[in-house]
Amino acid sequence: MTLAPQPYLNTRVSAMSERLLTSDQIAALCELSLPDLAERFGLEPLLDEQLDRRTKSRAVKQALINTLLDELRVLIRPMNANEAGLLLAWGRKYALFNLKTLLRGKLYELDQSEISANLYELPAHVRLPQQELFRAEGVLELLRKLEQGPYSLIARQGREVFEQKREPFALEAALDQRYYGEMVRRLLQVSNQDGNELKHLLGAVLDRVGLLWLLRFRFSYGLSPSETYYQLVPSVRLLHRDRLLKLVNLETFDEILAALPEPLTTRLAGSTSLMEVQRRLGGHVTDEARRTLANGQSGVARALAYLILREHGVLALFSIIQGQLLGLPRELIEIAVEVSEPNCPADSLADAA
Amino acid sequence: MLRQLSTTHLRPLTRRLRQVGTKVRTQLAPLLEQAEPRLIRLREAATTRLRPLAQRIGQAASAARSRLGPMIAEMPHLAQQLRAEAAQAEFRLRPLPMKHVRLLVITDDLPQASLTLAETESFHPDTRAPEAQMLSGIPGRDYRDLYQQARSRLEKIAKVVPIDDTPPIEQVRVVGHDELRAVNEQLGERWAEASRFEEAFRRIDEQDRFVREQQASLENFSNLHIDLGALRNKTRFLDFYVGVVPRENVRRLQGAVSLADHLLFTYLERGDSTHVVIVGPRGEKEGQLASVLSSASFQPLPIPAALEDADPAHKRDELATQREQLEAERAGLRRELADWEQTHHDRLLEAQRALLLAEPFVTLDPSIRSAGHLAALAGWVPARAVSELEARLRGSLALPFELEQRAPTANERPLVPSVPIKHRLLAPFTMLVKQYGIPQYGEVDPTPLFAVTFLLMFGSMFGDVGQGATIAGLAWAFREKLGRFYLFGVMAGLSSVLFGFLYGSIFGYEEVLPALWTSPIHHPILMLKIALGYGVVFIAVACLLAIYNRLVVKDIAAALFGHHGLVNLIFYLAMVFGGLGLAGSGELGTTPLLLILLSLAALAVHAWRHLDAPFSEKVLVVFIETLETVVGYISNTLSFLRVAAFSLNHAALSLAVLTLASMMGPAGHLITVILGNLFVLVLEGGIVMIQVMRLQYYEGFSRYFSGDGHEFSPLRLRRRAA
Repeated sequence: MTLAPQPYLNTRVSAMSERLLTSDQIAALCELSLPDLAERFGLEPLLDEQLDRRTKSRAVKQALINTLLDELRVLIRPMNANEAGLLLAWGRKYALFNLKTLLRGKLYELDQSEISANLYELPAHVRLPQQELFRAEGVLELLRKLEQGPYSLIARQGREVFEQKREPFALEAALDQRYYGEMVRRLLQVSNQDGNELKHLLGAVLDRVGLLWLLRFRFSYGLSPSETYYQLVPSVRLLHRDRLLKLVNLETFDEILAALPEPLTTRLAGSTSLMEVQRRLGGHVTDEARRTLANGQSGVARALAYLILREHGVLALFSIIQGQLLGLPRELIEIAVEVSEPNCPADSLADAA
Repeated sequence: MLRQLSTTHLRPLTRRLRQVGTKVRTQLAPLLEQAEPRLIRLREAATTRLRPLAQRIGQAASAARSRLGPMIAEMPHLAQQLRAEAAQAEFRLRPLPMKHVRLLVITDDLPQASLTLAETESFHPDTRAPEAQMLSGIPGRDYRDLYQQARSRLEKIAKVVPIDDTPPIEQVRVVGHDELRAVNEQLGERWAEASRFEEAFRRIDEQDRFVREQQASLENFSNLHIDLGALRNKTRFLDFYVGVVPRENVRRLQGAVSLADHLLFTYLERGDSTHVVIVGPRGEKEGQLASVLSSASFQPLPIPAALEDADPAHKRDELATQREQLEAERAGLRRELADWEQTHHDRLLEAQRALLLAEPFVTLDPSIRSAGHLAALAGWVPARAVSELEARLRGSLALPFELEQRAPTANERPLVPSVPIKHRLLAPFTMLVKQYGIPQYGEVDPTPLFAVTFLLMFGSMFGDVGQGATIAGLAWAFREKLGRFYLFGVMAGLSSVLFGFLYGSIFGYEEVLPALWTSPIHHPILMLKIALGYGVVFIAVACLLAIYNRLVVKDIAAALFGHHGLVNLIFYLAMVFGGLGLAGSGELGTTPLLLILLSLAALAVHAWRHLDAPFSEKVLVVFIETLETVVGYISNTLSFLRVAAFSLNHAALSLAVLTLASMMGPAGHLITVILGNLFVLVLEGGIVMIQVMRLQYYEGFSRYFSGDGHEFSPLRLRRRAA
């Protein structure tokens, strides 16, 4: 980023960070009723009594995602093409959700309206050629259409694998891998000035994804070390290529946790289940994002940190609203938004496996 | 007396004539005798030679008659079309009055009502939900879903075989739900067949690609000095894989195979593919590889048997034969597809027609609401077309209906569509105006004014008979490629020609043509004065239009005190007259001075009252805004000096070209003049165009044209005339 837009972006991020929800604020939100939540966040029309529960939930999630992606669009305005490309690549996760929904819908031959009801309306800057894909009559036709765009390689691979195995795992794994691979590629195009802070922050995100996938593929899905390694995306920080090669060869959950570098070892010490690891790693990423937002110099890195925290906040808000729509007890909602610790015994790794 | 006259004058004359006649006969007789056979020969030759020619002319005339016949027959129709176009063409600044129309029909009549509305091409749907709560149903959703699926299928089929987008529709009729369902099912079957063709073509392409990879691999193998035959079979201790993998996957695959104690070597890279050899010990980890290789899209390459013994040329021939077979297969498939298209062509066209007839109802879908058997739809219709619309509905709907019309309310104004000015000559200018925006309903449509001022400015800045004629000629020559936009080039070129005559300039030469008016380079001060005067008039007219536009929407305060409102205009004109006085008599004048001070004070007070800020900030903002008004109008007026500057620049550039040319010999002179004119045409022509657009957009449109309206886009039946 050139020097001139840095102060503007930093000021913009600082001003926007007032909107972030702290843990205490999230805890306070758990105590509010649904009408109070609707009034506070301007969601009254979406939570109208006449609408059914599913429609309400869908509308709220859509509105929250729109808010997040609108803010993303505002933040990328002063950035150059590479920086904006990186943040847009991050925002395309929602397009990826849509793509997976479409794939599953076509695979299980769901009704068009059923699929349509589960797709997010996304702004043009992060959208896939969804309508074109939506019109496909079957998963193979969908993959053929996908082959004509930026996902051509994985679509071809996915189609070949799908034709052999008729199951979507390999395809979905390839899509996820492509998504994170694209982020790494774009990160490497950003200048050094912003690059180090971005590398630090995005590294934490990739470490989290890499470790979770490693544990899931190895112990939940029972994949071989070779297959597991092939499905992983090396991180730019802790879990780089060589470390992943060593970790996938380890045989037990505890051995892997013990072989992790700091600060992951300390952070995950005593974890007994994948759920717990996921929760703690989530905390690790948000801590890193908070640190970058508070102390960072790079406007781009701070913008990305803001978006990560903002997403965490809006998803927490959605969980609270969803919990209330489902009539769940407050204690359970608090556990879901990580305000309180679960007091039920966690599933052991052995059970999960 | 008569006899005397005859005796004295006529008799000698008669005698003389007789003598002359005898002499002529005597002298001409031999000549005539000689000439007669020649004349006979000439007549025969003419008959022999001219007859075929006459026959050919007759044939040509007959052919011309047969060719021109339809054209001649079409002439009255064409003339009628032109008359109709001329009748519709309009040069108007005020918007076409619109009415809001609400149509209440029985639900069963909805498809017919949609068709009728589409036929009139005067109904722009209003998609707002109706105020009446009872009208909450949304009919026709099922119909729309069917239509969309059928349309999607037809579009996919059209990518495989050509299908006319807008076939002639001889009879406009309602396409019922059952018919649409049948069309959709039929298209589903056709798409299933067409997609099989698509898939077959892809399979051939894939095989072809793989054969090409093998050809490349063969070249590579033949250069290696190892026993590749050994790689074909797994040994007791070693496991071999030779194949192609997407380049993007190689590094990850390398890591993955290393975990199974295997090694990956790259021996060839082609495009997105990498040819690799994977080697490792046989054993329990070997099993892990199959799944990884599958995930990495690894394609094993058949290693040529007995490569070391076989003739590489033979293998090449074999692969070439395989490719030829694939090509033959492709050609066969194309023939099969052509047959398939032939078989289904008419039915696909019928399906296209059915979908085009169903389209209006589907397009209207978001505007329709219903309650029981009653459906309501709303839209905007030009006021003059409402009665015809009602008459058409009366003629086509079997069941009772009600049509309500009313003028748009003030709040609805941003929603009312604007009908664009239709005129062939203005069409290219309309496109340029659209780049800025669409006039909001009520706003003055700037297109005619834009066209006139654009041509005036372009011509005056680029006045040259030769170059103008070149622009017009090129635009005419490429009229088919340029579409309607060619008229823009022709008119700009003609404007340039006109000013070229006024300036006496042709291809930069100023001595060839006598100037009908004056040459800019010889009277620069006059040109600058005219440009300033033009600028003042332009800005004053823009302000007047801004005032008018605000008065139309009843925004009196903005018309008076807003940007470029009445007070601004008074200030500006007072400043202009004051400036003229200052330049003429050296005095600003009391009245202009008073008007300037009063108008600035009025603007400052207005800004002060509408500013919600601390005192010091208010002072600062009002001061800066007032200063900006003064500076802005002065700089905007001076901005028009560029009109004169470019006319001078044009002449100066031409002079430079001719000076350079005069230093050369005859050939050099000609080449320099041609290249110089080309340079002036492309570079200066482009710059002048940009400058004119800038003056139009910034000095004109930004004052009076919001451009945030939306275009009248009526419901239409897409079809070609039968």
